This record gives sequence, C-alpha cells and structure tokens, in this order.
Amino acid sequence: MLSLLRNLRNLRRTIGLSAAERPASLALRHVDCGSCNGCEHELTLVFGPTVDLARYGLGIVASPRHADVLLVTGSVTTRMHAALLTAYEAMPEPRRVAALGDCALGDGVLGSSSEIAGRAEDVLPVDLRIPGCPPTPDAIAASLIGLIDGRAGA
Amino acid sequence: MSGPLLSAEAYREAVVAAIADGWRFASLHATSGEGGSAVTTLLTSPEGDTRLESADATAGAVPTIVDIAPAAGWDEREAHDLYGIRFDGHEPLRPLVEHDVPLTRFATPVHGADPYQIAVGPIHAGVIESGHFRFHVVGDLILHVDARLFYKHRGLERAAEGLALEDALPVVARSCAGCWVTNAVAYAQACEEALGLSPTPELARARTILLELERVWNTLNDIGAICAGVGLAAGTSRFAALVDDARRLNARLTGHRFLFGSVAVGGSALDLDHAAVVDARETLAQIRRESSRAWHALLFNGSFMDRMPDIGIVDAEAVHALGVVGVAARAAGVAEDVRAVSPRLSYEGFEPAGLRRPAGDVQARLEQRALELLPCLDILDRLLSLPLRPAATVAGGPEARVGVGRVESPRGATSCVVERDGGRVARIRLRTGSYANWPAVAFAAAGNLLPDFPLINKSFELCYACVDR
Repeated sequence: MLSLLRNLRNLRRTIGLSAAERPASLALRHVDCGSCNGCEHELTLVFGPTVDLARYGLGIVASPRHADVLLVTGSVTTRMHAALLTAYEAMPEPRRVAALGDCALGDGVLGSSSEIAGRAEDVLPVDLRIPGCPPTPDAIAASLIGLIDGRAGA
Repeated sequence: MSGPLLSAEAYREAVVAAIADGWRFASLHATSGEGGSAVTTLLTSPEGDTRLESADATAGAVPTIVDIAPAAGWDEREAHDLYGIRFDGHEPLRPLVEHDVPLTRFATPVHGADPYQIAVGPIHAGVIESGHFRFHVVGDLILHVDARLFYKHRGLERAAEGLALEDALPVVARSCAGCWVTNAVAYAQACEEALGLSPTPELARARTILLELERVWNTLNDIGAICAGVGLAAGTSRFAALVDDARRLNARLTGHRFLFGSVAVGGSALDLDHAAVVDARETLAQIRRESSRAWHALLFNGSFMDRMPDIGIVDAEAVHALGVVGVAARAAGVAEDVRAVSPRLSYEGFEPAGLRRPAGDVQARLEQRALELLPCLDILDRLLSLPLRPAATVAGGPEARVGVGRVESPRGATSCVVERDGGRVARIRLRTGSYANWPAVAFAAAGNLLPDFPLINKSFELCYACVDR
C-alpha cells in the first residue's frame, strides 16, 4: 500500500498537474454521440486513482439538470442528434459544451456521411476543444481544469 | 471455401447440411450492387476451418436460417434494415438498426395485469456508451429486456467500400477502441487470405503480442467494471490503476495507449529492441503481482463475492443455442477459443482455461476473466523474450475474391469477411464478440432482479461501439 501511494505521488508529479486549491467546481455531463469508446475509456481514468480529477472539484453527474459542462464524444450520429439536443436543453444556464476527442472535433475517422449529423460544433456551440485520439487522461484533466481557471482551449 | 452463388433454396439446404455436419454459424451479411443482391453466411468448423455459402437475393428475399442457427437473428435483422432483404420465415422480422419506426415494432409485446416498462437510455447516468434498454418488469423482477442499440451507427463498413485494402484498415478498426487490435488483425487476415499472403513467424509474433497486450488491459478493465457494478470503490480503483499501467506500457511500446496504428495489411512495422522487451516483461510481471494481490482482496471480500453467484445465468445449453462466444461461453463450460485454432498467429499449444465451477453465472464470468489473465501474461512473457523486428507476409497461396479473418477478442470470437474488387474493398462485414453476445445479456437478465442488471451487464462488459459500427 505504501509503495502504491509512493507510485501515485511520483505519477502525479510526472503528469505535472498542480495541486493548487481552486475555489470553484464543475459538474460534467458526458454524452457519447458516436465514439469508438476510446474517449470513454480515458475519461473513466480521469476519475481513477492516478489523475483523480475529483480532487479539483470536478465530477461526473448523472443528470444534465445538475451539469455545468456537456462533454460530447464522437462524431454526432443522426441517431444521437435528438438525444444530444435534449440533454443540452435540460441544462441550466450558464452552460458550456466541451468537444472531447478528434471525432467530436471533426478530425477523426467519421463514417458514412448519411449516418453522421456532423461535428459537435455543427450541432451545439462549443466552448472547449480537447483534441486527441483519444486525448490522454492527463490532457483531458488539464483542459477541464483550464476551464475552471478561465483558460478555455482554442 | 467460397462457393458459387446459390439459389435461395439451395443456400438454405447448404446451411442446413453444414450445421448438421457440425459447422457453426459465424456471421451473415448482405451485399448489393449492379449485379444484384446477395446474402452470404460464414460457417466455421471446430478445427477452425471456414466456409461461405452465398445466396442470390436479387429477388429481394431469401429463406431465413434462424430456425437452425438462432445466432443469425441479429444479422438477418441488420441485413433487412440496411439492404432491404427479406428473410422468409423470420417472423416477426423486427427492426434492429432502423430507428425510424414505432417502438411497438421494435419492443417485444408483454401482456398481463402487472407488467410495466422502464426505459433507460440512450444516454446513461455515467461515462457509458449510448444505447437504449427497455425493461419489462413486475416490481423488481425482470421479465424481459429489449436492447435497442445502433445509436452509434456510423456506417463504417460502407465508408470503407471503395478504399484501397490497406487504407480501409483504420476505418474498420475504428469500430472500437477496446478491440482495435482484434478488429484490425481480423481485417488484415481477411485481406491477406484473399490476396494469397501468409504471415511470417515474426509477423505472427508481432500480432500475437499486440492482441495479448489488448487482452491484458481489457481483462483488468472488465474485472474493475464488475467492482464498479456493485459500487466497490476499492476494487474499482485498484484495477483502474492497473489498466492505466497497462496502457502506459502500450504507449511506450507502440506510441499509442490503445495500440492504434500498430497493425497493417501485409506486414508489421513494430520494432521492439532489447530495452523495450525488457521493459515490457518487467511491467507485465509487476502487473501480474499487483493484479494477483488485488484479485485475492476481492476473493476475500465477502459482501462483494456474495453478490456474484446464481445471477445472470447463461448455461452451456444457452451458449450453444444463442451462439455465445468468448469468456461468457467458457464460463459455462464451453471450452472454445479461436486462439486454439489460429495458425496465422503464435498460439502454439494453446488450450482454453476452464473453471472448476463453470456455472455460467456472474461469478463464473468474473472468475474466468481472472483465470485467463495468467495464461495471457504467460504468452506475452514467452513472446517478448526476444527483440521484435519489422516483419512481412510471404506470397504463394491461392488468391480469392473473398477472405476471412477470425480472432479471439477480449469479448469472444470476432469474424471479418472482406470481399474485394481488385485491390479495393467491395464489402466488409465485421462481426465482433460483442455483436454475438448482446442477445445473451437480455437472456441472462430475464428472471433476475432489476438491481442486479448492472452487475449482469458488466459481467459481459460488451462494447456498443463495435456492434453499432
């Protein structure tokens, strides 16, 4: 157990996430709109023991009613289009949308044009872009913390 | 192995005769083009041989085979929805991929005084892929579940059509991150079979290493998922840390945490020097030690283990009836594993691991995963004893218009059929272990309590992405 904690401390140092306290929090609601499941696998690890984003006050919530940020993964399929809009409309203001991963950004392998409604940006106003295929847990964490700090991505 | 285009009646007779001879259904797909439409069924023998039976479907209908091969149920529904082909005798032929239909056509009718429905999804309450479940329940008792997937249907198979064979690999493999290597190797094998190419031993070794690296993190992930399914945070965290270790190793070896880009048609560029294989073996030995400790902590956690037995049962009879594959089949005592019949890969002497208690319940599937992690690590330790060099295929086999690849994914047998038009893709059919096993989740859930569903579902841990494609 002690070695586990030591490894954890070293890993966090390698990742380079600062431990500075922040007087804010963000509630995240994830919607998979047609991903390959890679972004979901990495997003799960963002809340795992190595990155542990919860210690910065960020967490996944079960309802869009409780969410500040909508995390969109995948290129939006025609079949998820309506569900994505429903989730967005259920969110209280102020709300932000983050496009997570190259598919949501329109840079990934997309599929047949007849099955794809578009990029996240074609469907919703995107405030934060997190590139990567999939972005690593460290990169996702750094981007989301940047949103708290007012350093929203390009 | 690829026969002539049969008449609709002769096709059914051929499939009936093959199944009577011990062949098993593995996949079915439709094609349509200027020359008309066709339906093709892939069958496999216990020895790993494959054969294809194709029917002329230009008239718009062929006889169903679901009465003799119930596993073909989803395949026929998909072929109907995407290619408009009817399957005479498949009644009711409910929609599967087609969503633009009233729910009554999709859901199973359940009648009686007390049953009511609980609709879940397509968006779930956590970081989970999108899909819809409709539970028919009385109180907490599940009578039936209709899984309505394909919310993530991206049309990847169609998007690959017309591409050069080597360029289509990233499109097909993008079906799923969790099974990227499996899907890529199955596709590459299918192309190479059609092109008359055979892998060199070094290429077989490279692909086997990649497949088992994928199995390592998936197995750790799937055990952790069961912990998450009952809310055991300690187990979830320990296995999540191990998943991260395994993915970091993947990134050091191939430049990608999910091994994307590490497989190609006709060869392998993977170059692991002495230091890389030493690093890999040391990391895997550490994963073995840590996962063994974490597993024993689970075994001695009474309140955790008490949730596992006697729920979500898929026994051997159901495995055969539904065409269940992979861990779920082996946990029911059906010792089938494509790795035992894979001459194109480096699995010499491989035998599927069996449980003392193959009860086919959640506990058996959990234990089967833990049991299979060890031989998987053994294989890697053996294959990584030498540096790995870039490798290629050798020509010389007979060329064909159609090729088949079969690979054991972390979720079970995955088949890929590639029909080519010269050097380009005419049609790809990727049928993954998850595709084969989704009907078993619904079967396993019936008769159980609603609060056990997340656990039953997690004990299969199927991908939505490589079903929906």
